[in-house]
Amino acid sequence: MKRATASGRPRKAGVSVDRYQGFVFNPADLSEDVDLDFERRREILHAQSNLQSWTHWQVLGLPWNAPADAVRDAYREKVKVFHPDRYPGKRLGSYRTRLEQVFRRVTEARDVLASEASRAAYAARTAPADEFARLEARRLEDEQRAKERRARLARSNPLVGRAGRVAELLGRGKQQMAEGRFSQAMNDFLTAASMDPGHAEAKTLAQEARKRAGAERAREMWEKAQAAALDDRLDLAQELAAGAAEADPANPRYAVFAARLALRRGAIESARGLAEGAVRTAPSFAPAHEVLGEVLAEQGDKGSARRELERSLELDPSLASARDRLKKMRWSFLG
Amino acid sequence: MSESEPFIGIDLGTTNSVVATVIDGVPRVIASRTGQILTPSVVAVAKNGKRLVGGIAKRQAITNAENTVFAAKRLIGRRWGAKEVEDARKVLPYQLVPGPEGHDVRVVLGGHSFAIAEISAMVLAELKADAEAFFGRRVSKAVVTVPAYFNDGQRQATKDAGRIAGLDTMRIINEPTSAALAYGFGKQMEKKVAVFDLGGGTFDVSILDIGAGVFDVVAVGGDTYLGGEDFDRRVMDWLTFTFAKEHQGIDLRQDKMALQRLKDASEKAKIELSTSQTAGIHLPFLASSGEGKAALHLEKQLPREKLEELTKDLVDRCIQVAERTLRDAGIRPSQVGEVLLVGGMTRMPRVQQAVKHFFGREPSRGVHPEEVVALGAAIQAHSLLYPQKDREVLLLDVTPQNLGIMVVGGYFSTIIAKNTTVPTSQTHVFTTVQDQQTSVRIAVLQGASEKAIENELLGEFILDGIRPARRGEVEIEVAFDISADGIVGVSARDVDTGQRQSITVTATSGLTEDELRRILDENLDELLERKQSGETDKQRDRLQAMIADVEALVPQVQAALSRSHFGKDAVQKAQGVVAQARSAIATQDREQMATVEERLDRTLQLFKGLASGGTLPGGEA
Repeated sequence: MKRATASGRPRKAGVSVDRYQGFVFNPADLSEDVDLDFERRREILHAQSNLQSWTHWQVLGLPWNAPADAVRDAYREKVKVFHPDRYPGKRLGSYRTRLEQVFRRVTEARDVLASEASRAAYAARTAPADEFARLEARRLEDEQRAKERRARLARSNPLVGRAGRVAELLGRGKQQMAEGRFSQAMNDFLTAASMDPGHAEAKTLAQEARKRAGAERAREMWEKAQAAALDDRLDLAQELAAGAAEADPANPRYAVFAARLALRRGAIESARGLAEGAVRTAPSFAPAHEVLGEVLAEQGDKGSARRELERSLELDPSLASARDRLKKMRWSFLG
Repeated sequence: MSESEPFIGIDLGTTNSVVATVIDGVPRVIASRTGQILTPSVVAVAKNGKRLVGGIAKRQAITNAENTVFAAKRLIGRRWGAKEVEDARKVLPYQLVPGPEGHDVRVVLGGHSFAIAEISAMVLAELKADAEAFFGRRVSKAVVTVPAYFNDGQRQATKDAGRIAGLDTMRIINEPTSAALAYGFGKQMEKKVAVFDLGGGTFDVSILDIGAGVFDVVAVGGDTYLGGEDFDRRVMDWLTFTFAKEHQGIDLRQDKMALQRLKDASEKAKIELSTSQTAGIHLPFLASSGEGKAALHLEKQLPREKLEELTKDLVDRCIQVAERTLRDAGIRPSQVGEVLLVGGMTRMPRVQQAVKHFFGREPSRGVHPEEVVALGAAIQAHSLLYPQKDREVLLLDVTPQNLGIMVVGGYFSTIIAKNTTVPTSQTHVFTTVQDQQTSVRIAVLQGASEKAIENELLGEFILDGIRPARRGEVEIEVAFDISADGIVGVSARDVDTGQRQSITVTATSGLTEDELRRILDENLDELLERKQSGETDKQRDRLQAMIADVEALVPQVQAALSRSHFGKDAVQKAQGVVAQARSAIATQDREQMATVEERLDRTLQLFKGLASGGTLPGGEA
């Protein structure tokens, strides 16, 4: 249960004859039948009703930011008034609980203010308005200075500076990866890896970025190639498709597409090269075998062509074009 | 104010207890009726069923080890099954059993089972009787000390013991605090004091800030299972081990009487080594080497260096605790203005050296390590009864361990942190976790571990009669408070309605209220029995008169016998009867007094006959 500690600022010590001026005592409390004199009753009631509103300083009757020694002395004086053990053999009635409550509050105030660290923090929080502004300004200034000092240190120290730069590059690269800008990301990762050759994470990230960037470029080129093929600009389409195959060698579809285009143009030699490349990179990709079979058939090597076509059917029995092709070859063989 | 009512301060120690009071503003120790300052904290039931307490119980321990309880303080307030209790069961010659609820520990003595609080109560009652003899009237107001590191269960049990002994225990205070109070009483001082209290069974360190009559404890630390008894045990283990090596593996631990003799000899040797460089241990006829063979004797020299070597780790442990406590207090060893040594174990030179080395200063020689705690307790009792204008004293103590509850996942959530000044209280709001939930079980624990299970369970409380509502709608505020005695109280109320919630304690390590009442009733019976002790007094007087008569007749009887051929041994027999009568008087055993009275009467008649010139009737003397 936390109190609103900063709510009450210490008031100025006024010249007042009555310490409790403006405070209304409950007559029933004052007239309770207990062994306490009038003044003591008023002191206890006044303290008890201010438990929540007083600051730790006020509880101990101290000015704001009083030193730890004063806190200890004030605490000793207060506990002598508010500890129930100070009233041996006396009837205390409801005042026993009141005393205990005030005692706990006084002890709490002491616990916060006796330790130098918590005292400073509390003093900052409960400072009067003008004091608070001054402290706040100093705090900001300190912060600014600390920041500048850190920056200066980083600049003057090559090791610290390079480490900072590598971290920065990696961060930016990751951001670019997330946004799909793979080639930029690759650039940053590669730069980072070259600055800090021992940085394993930079290396793996660079490889990953390169793969994703290649795939990205290959897809773009492939799309352009398809558009060109539709326009019947077969040489440009073939060039683009071959480029895609080179950019993303892991995907055989591009090479197969390029080989078909070459075949359509009648560029048998390049068609064969592309088809063989596709089969090499993806031996279990049926269309690669099919196109190689077509190229071989065009070149007149019927035996090899049939073997390739059969191989493609073996890998993918639903490949209708290959089946047709095989049938035709059989007929021509018979005829 | 007139100081009409007498009061006492009691240091209820593991091995020895002391009682003190304040007379004309001067604290002083009350000697026992036999003139001793230290009363051994030993309780026994003799073969004849008679209860013995203190020195008389300690002296007969060798021949009656199974029915002699020492170091009961190590068991007080402990739960059955706790590690400390299991360890104790392995080495103690007396038998321990679980209480009827299975939570607490009982001792079997003369076929009867006693709660540990009852055993401690017997020691307290003995001290109370000593004080009553001193004041010449009834005493009931008392302050009793406990180790600072005692938890709630141990304090509660100590308070129960006071109640059973017929004392009004105004306050339970911590031993090191009490020592500091005795040290600082009546002196103008302003400094930080470290109390290093190594007693018979427990070790405490307290750091106090003393000034203007306020004794403000800043931090406490300790180990409730580290003390002189452990030093004795090291010596005992060394003796049994070397004995076994020298005598073909004879294990002295099998023989309870031998074990008790070893224990006494070890303690004596340890004490001797505080002032001399070497101590001789001579235990003749300690064991037999087999049927018909000569008995074996133990003859050993224990040099001081050997003792220090055997107990080095114990001393190191003390220093570690001191280090931790200073850290908790947030001060450096050099900031300590005075170091007080308390407890008999601090007489050991090695302990003094270690303390001096750690704090970097010579420890205070101004206090008597065995008496100072009781004196402080008496000062506190005085100030709690009669306000002092000129010499005000106010003790502000702290809780030694974190108090908290078990939360989901078996974790421990601290509610009142250790080293919080008492009395204190803290509230915690619980809420229902199920729809229509009407009760909540709360396990209250004390300790330093994050895992609930590694802390001491003080009790389980069930909050019931919660108004039915959707989960989370009812909030119950539970208030945990720790009194100036260090005893924990729990109360609860509904946050919305402000209604008090009932709390049931389901498990504690102490006596239940019903049991306590039953024990108090039994004690009342015993008191009534003692009312008849006027009768006992008359009987005793008669016996003493008869003994005097018999002894007066001895010369005449011897003269008569020298002329006779019979009954040469009549005088020896008579002396046996006289000895029996004397022991019966000493133990105040009424039954035995009655039997012996009969025999003494017959002896007297016989002697009278012989002395007047008659002849021996033959047969029994």
